[in-house]
Formats: sequence, structure tokens, C-alpha cells
Amino acid sequence: MPALPKEQVRAAIRAGLSARADVATPPRFKVGERVVARNIHPTGHTRLPRYARGKRGVVQRHHGGFVFPDTRAHGLGDQPQHLYNIRFEARELWGADAAEGDGIYLDLWESYLEAEGSL
Amino acid sequence: MNGIHDLGGMHGLGPVAREENEPVFHEEWERRVFAVLNLTMAAGQYNVDELRHAIERMAPARYLETPYYEHWLHAAEDLLDAKGVVTREELAQRVAEIAKRSSGEPRGMNEPPRGAAASERVRDAGRGQGK
Repeated sequence: MPALPKEQVRAAIRAGLSARADVATPPRFKVGERVVARNIHPTGHTRLPRYARGKRGVVQRHHGGFVFPDTRAHGLGDQPQHLYNIRFEARELWGADAAEGDGIYLDLWESYLEAEGSL
Repeated sequence: MNGIHDLGGMHGLGPVAREENEPVFHEEWERRVFAVLNLTMAAGQYNVDELRHAIERMAPARYLETPYYEHWLHAAEDLLDAKGVVTREELAQRVAEIAKRSSGEPRGMNEPPRGAAASERVRDAGRGQGK
């Protein structure tokens, strides 16, 4: 990756750098759509937590395009994808003993997800 | 990867320890590690995803026994060695030089950290349980 110009370093450390990037294809999922997190177990880097794999959730927000950590961690480039916020019900993740109405919100990249019913 | 970093849903780790008026850095070396990581990333040696994956590759027991910024230090040493910027040999040589100059024993990676490690908190949490 290219070095940051010296005069930008202080601001970058204070505020962080944006990971937004353009994606050529339209978003595959829309807000309100039911999705399933894919059951994947890559040996490399991933931002999809184990407890969410194979679980059903609902798209809350489309964040736009973001660089993909799973490829960037291995020198395979930015390969930006659409990023979504997904709500998983606590009972879907942890079973019937979890509190009804509780949920967990995860920001997940498009390739982590499938439309419900397609799996 | 399915590593020790992915703790969601795991039991037995005790409550989350909250520190009143927590300082940004607990030790001077943490401030230096913060600078080393940020400046080597700004210099284009690696990105934040490579940094995170380097931390994930730590030996699981070591990961739990060490404080947060030691994870960063581990990643810096690992990545800078892999990219040929600072080799393990150069690092060991420099540590030995500094130890000699300060005529004290170096606090190496194999010694227990000063900061409260996750494993210590887990042990403390365990004392109050199972009665």
C-alpha cells in the first residue's frame, strides 16, 4: 500500500481513514429483506463472527461500498463490496432462553450473506 | 479464522472490567507501541486488516495472557519481520544493546507483562464463582 504523505499523518491518526470505496454492481439486498449469514470457516481473516454463521437476520441499513478486509489482510487488494447492517434476534443466536426483543446488530459485507430461502 | 479472538458467546471469562478514569496508556511503552504501529502503517508497510490478522495468529494462551498493546507489539514484530523491514535477529540485537546500556535486565516477550492481562482478570473473576 502507498505511504501516506507526511502532512496527512497527524490527521489520519486522530480521525482515522475512510474505508469507503465504489462498487460497480448494484446492492444485492434491500432494507427490510431477510438474509442468512453464510456458514463459512475461512482459515484467513474474516469479520463474520462464528456465532452469526448460519443465522437469519434482517437488513437494517445499506452503508454503501467498503473495502473488503478478508482480501486486504492477505495482500489480495481492496475488492470493495456493499456493506449492510443486519439485526439478528437474540433468540435466533442464543436460543429460547435469550430475552425476547433483544437483538444484535452486525455490519456485514455482501459476500457473507445469502437471501433467506436460497440456502 | 476460528481463533481465540472470536470470543462471542464464550462463557467463563468473568464480567467486563471497567476502570474509573482509565488513562489512554497505562505504561510509557504502550504509547511507543501505538506510535510504531500507526507510523509503520502510514509509511505503507501494512494495513489495519493485516494488523488484525497478525493478532489473530498469536498463540491462543499468549493472546489471553497479554494486555492489549502487547497484541499490537506482537503484530508489529511479526509483520515487519515478514516484510524484511526489521528482522528477528536485528530486533534481538537491539534489545541486547539497550539492555547492556541500561545495565538492567530487559523485559523480554517471555516475561509476564506489568499491565493487568485478561487471564489475570479471568482468574480474579473465577475466585468469586462456584461457591
